[in-house]
Amino acid sequence: MTARESTYDVVVVGAGHNGLVCAAYLAGAGLRTLVVDNRDRVGGMADTSEPWPGVRVPTLAHTVGRLRPQLARELKLRSHGVRLVQPAVRVFAPQPDGRSITLRSDVALTANALASNDLVGPRDAARYADADRSLRALARGLARLHAQVPPEIASPSIADAVGGLRTALAARARGGASDAGLLHAMPMAVRDLVEEWFESDALRAVIAARGILLTGLGPRMPGTAGVLITDVAGNDAGLAGQAVLARGGPGALSAALAAAARSAGAEIRLGSSVAQVRRQADAVRGVVLESGEEINARVVVLTLDPKTTFLKLLEPEVAGPRLSWRASNIRQSGITAKVNFALSGLPSFPAAADDPRRLRGRILIAPSMVYLQHAADAAKYGQISEEPLIEATIPTLLDATLIDEKRAGAVRHVLSAIVQSAPYDLREGTWTERREGLGDTVARVIEQYAPGFAALVEARQVVTPLEIEGDYGAAGGHPMHAEVGLDQWFAWRPLHGYGRYRMPLSGMYLAGAGAHPGGGITGAPGQLAAREVLADLRAARP
Amino acid sequence: MGARGAEKYDAIIIGGGHNGLTCAAYLARAGWKVVVLERRHILGGATVTEELWPGFKISVASYVVSLLRPEIIRELDLPRHGLEILPVDGTLTPLDDDYLWRVDDHGTTRRELRRWSKRDAEAYDEYSVLMAEMARFVKPLLGSAAPRLGTQDARGLAALAGFARRFASLPESQQTTFIQLLTMSSADFVSQWFETEPLRATLASSGIIGTFLGPRSPGTAYVLLHHYLGELDGEYRAWGLPRGGTGRVSGAIASAAREAGAELRTNSPVARIVTREGRAAGVVLENGEEIAAQAVISSADVRVTLQRLLEPGTLPPESEAAISNYKFRGSSGKVNFALDRLPTFTCLPPGTTDVYRGMVSISPSVDYLERAYDDAVTGRFSRQPYIDIGFPSAVDPSVAPAGKHVMACFVQYAPYDLADSDWNSQREAFGDTVQATIAKYAPDFPDAVLHRQVLSPLDIERTFGLSEGNIMQGELLLEQLFAERPLSGAGYGTPIRDLWMCGASTHPGGVITGAPGRNAAMAVLRAGGRRGRGRQPADQEQAA
Repeated sequence: MTARESTYDVVVVGAGHNGLVCAAYLAGAGLRTLVVDNRDRVGGMADTSEPWPGVRVPTLAHTVGRLRPQLARELKLRSHGVRLVQPAVRVFAPQPDGRSITLRSDVALTANALASNDLVGPRDAARYADADRSLRALARGLARLHAQVPPEIASPSIADAVGGLRTALAARARGGASDAGLLHAMPMAVRDLVEEWFESDALRAVIAARGILLTGLGPRMPGTAGVLITDVAGNDAGLAGQAVLARGGPGALSAALAAAARSAGAEIRLGSSVAQVRRQADAVRGVVLESGEEINARVVVLTLDPKTTFLKLLEPEVAGPRLSWRASNIRQSGITAKVNFALSGLPSFPAAADDPRRLRGRILIAPSMVYLQHAADAAKYGQISEEPLIEATIPTLLDATLIDEKRAGAVRHVLSAIVQSAPYDLREGTWTERREGLGDTVARVIEQYAPGFAALVEARQVVTPLEIEGDYGAAGGHPMHAEVGLDQWFAWRPLHGYGRYRMPLSGMYLAGAGAHPGGGITGAPGQLAAREVLADLRAARP
Repeated sequence: MGARGAEKYDAIIIGGGHNGLTCAAYLARAGWKVVVLERRHILGGATVTEELWPGFKISVASYVVSLLRPEIIRELDLPRHGLEILPVDGTLTPLDDDYLWRVDDHGTTRRELRRWSKRDAEAYDEYSVLMAEMARFVKPLLGSAAPRLGTQDARGLAALAGFARRFASLPESQQTTFIQLLTMSSADFVSQWFETEPLRATLASSGIIGTFLGPRSPGTAYVLLHHYLGELDGEYRAWGLPRGGTGRVSGAIASAAREAGAELRTNSPVARIVTREGRAAGVVLENGEEIAAQAVISSADVRVTLQRLLEPGTLPPESEAAISNYKFRGSSGKVNFALDRLPTFTCLPPGTTDVYRGMVSISPSVDYLERAYDDAVTGRFSRQPYIDIGFPSAVDPSVAPAGKHVMACFVQYAPYDLADSDWNSQREAFGDTVQATIAKYAPDFPDAVLHRQVLSPLDIERTFGLSEGNIMQGELLLEQLFAERPLSGAGYGTPIRDLWMCGASTHPGGVITGAPGRNAAMAVLRAGGRRGRGRQPADQEQAA
């Protein structure tokens, strides 16, 4: 009982990118802010690790192009060392027969190439620019929703009603050629949306893959168009998608966010797990660490997944049976795995033989709509896809800092692969038994598109949903904390009544991917939650 | 008899299905001179009963009712016109060596559920109450044009504000449920309450009806709710059979329309809608007869109405594109049987007979339904389909010869587009699959079959004029519901002045509700005043 005790204004639990963003804003507003994380480095899932000597990999996330530009400016991330690179090629999608589709930052150049690509042809090529504009128009409407705290829809106030009207107007943002308003497009199946734009099955698949990536949804499922639009909201992804890498990997971005938070005055304590949120009546008082140390604070910001937040960190008598039951039904079972390969050379994709620069963006194994469908179907039955959807990057093509040649031995390149379906809830076997089988599957599939790949593999790291749960603290192993879908979206993410960052205890907030506007490295939940914390503190001031 | 030829009608209604007839009845009651033009030799559309085999009166398409709006029954005085609904009691889900059987009697169902799961038995009451509350909440949305987010006109804003107020007054748990019903999959939705697999599956199966989605696809929870909207004698989720077959529903509405002065013509297929100076001016029948009217109201689906019956080029290109993108994707078939005797479900205790007064649902697990869907996605009918079975003759002996029976099977999935084949060659194979699937649970069934009628989506399209055989005149997808159905913000209007729609393609969609017909009539009346002649040009409810 002699444990230490210290006092802050705010404790942020979790030093992932959202926690750091939130802390940077709160400390910047003059609040004494402490960030605690049980891992030994900052960043959470925006992580760079060194699994083999001299070889650093983007452990989970590999692109960072969704980060909100406004936030990057306000937190002066450039001066804290962030260097972002985006290659001209956004995505390269090979077919097993050696043909491929390449989408570039330059829309006109892309359309030109598509016109003479026999997988696509002039008709779709002529529509490409229009479709790109449509998607961006839809995304602009959504970005407006993403930039603000959702309205209180349970009992709307006048301010909310006005906001709602603005929201409604945003929802009417027209999509151009398809003339589909956001309200019409969000609930659509991504397959239907891309069919409105294009006839080429291969091109449809390249676009539609982003409607299901990191979700348990298939391309025919309603709401997947919304996932695609979300991917474009607030950034420059467009139809081709973003392929922004941080020099030094996503962990370098996290390090810059940590530097921004520290320079604003925040303190970051690693290797410290929170055991309990302390409260007095219905207000938070701080947290207790596993070490027994008590930290007093009038504000506790959590960036953990919502189930853990509601069911583990709230005492059952605070949550009550109704809320506990609702929280237990939050869908947050992951379906995505990550496989990182250390390679002795650059894999040779015959489809990119003419121009290896095609490999600098995202490399997408999604050769057809049926392929996407089947890859997603496996998740419905708790199976690992034999032919998974793969989004890979070779960050070493753009970032020489990842390999320390003196220590890396034969390793020259890293291939980072996001893989699905690889469901957390397996019907047969356990992830411990099946981990390496997944690595084999991914190597085998890439081999089909890049013969000789297997021979280049020096080492391999398989991160299953089990590790995403265990190492990154996301119960259910979902990279977005809570499943993506219209039922866990906007003002009702993670739960209706808790969509405005405030948790059931006064002074307790949720600022992670389980809060609006959701997962992905945007920083938006952390930023918006900070805004609400400050608003509440201002209102409480006598 | 009504006037023909040169004499002008106030309104022509294309299609004598239950919605067309409902619309006609309301307009005629308002004093309009109305003619209904039905393509087939009988009225009723998909709400029809035909004596396919001597003594066997088959409700060919639609086979149960519950969703018919009570205000329509009341206002059109349908009981006086011969409508009598007999209750259907219970749903049996047969399994290989067990069953789940829920009936109207609360105590019996509770005991049965407790046999499976005490937790589920507890949750069932809560769930039933909640769904009734949801039906009550949604009900006012069905009885009028849907409010549109972002609308500018006063009526629309008032409707939106009213809806927001009603939503805000719901308890938070019900607000949550309403959001979930709009956005979730039916399997996820029901799994929040229940752990018993056949219960999950059978409840979730209501969410796939008429859609090209599996029970794990988001959006199906709304379809589930759609099937809870029924209300018989004030009781929600009560299903019934009209005495004499579902044709009696349209028969009663037709009788009410006729009594109000509407003229109802069968064997009158419309070849095209005539437009003059951008307005609908009448129709031309396939036999060349031209009929003029102040307004044309079509109960056919949006594709038939605006693409097949209009001259190409009449519509603005954006509307053409929107209609082309409107999704039908018929996914269901119907197999009707005439039986020598009722089949015996071997999972039930011997001698059980009261099961035939209810429905039998072949939906043993969510995976079973999902795999049935997977087949459809690959372009073939389900090898092991979902089947909803009714025995109308067990409730209403008048529809079969003494001692004989009729059996109705609604089947999913039967995709309109088959991958490597066509429905003309697959029709009987599909019927055989349905028969074999039922025989697994009732081995004596095949021997009891006297006659069989198989309706593929192609047959449904050909017989009833429903595009791609979609029984809802377009899928009940979130982007095709409320103000988005069928064209964003158009309501019951179309881009062509004086051309309206009143079928299931419009809000609130398919199933025998009569709501599209009644709502359309109200919209037309509002636009045109009490009498057709000399009325004002249509207001902004005519489409943007």
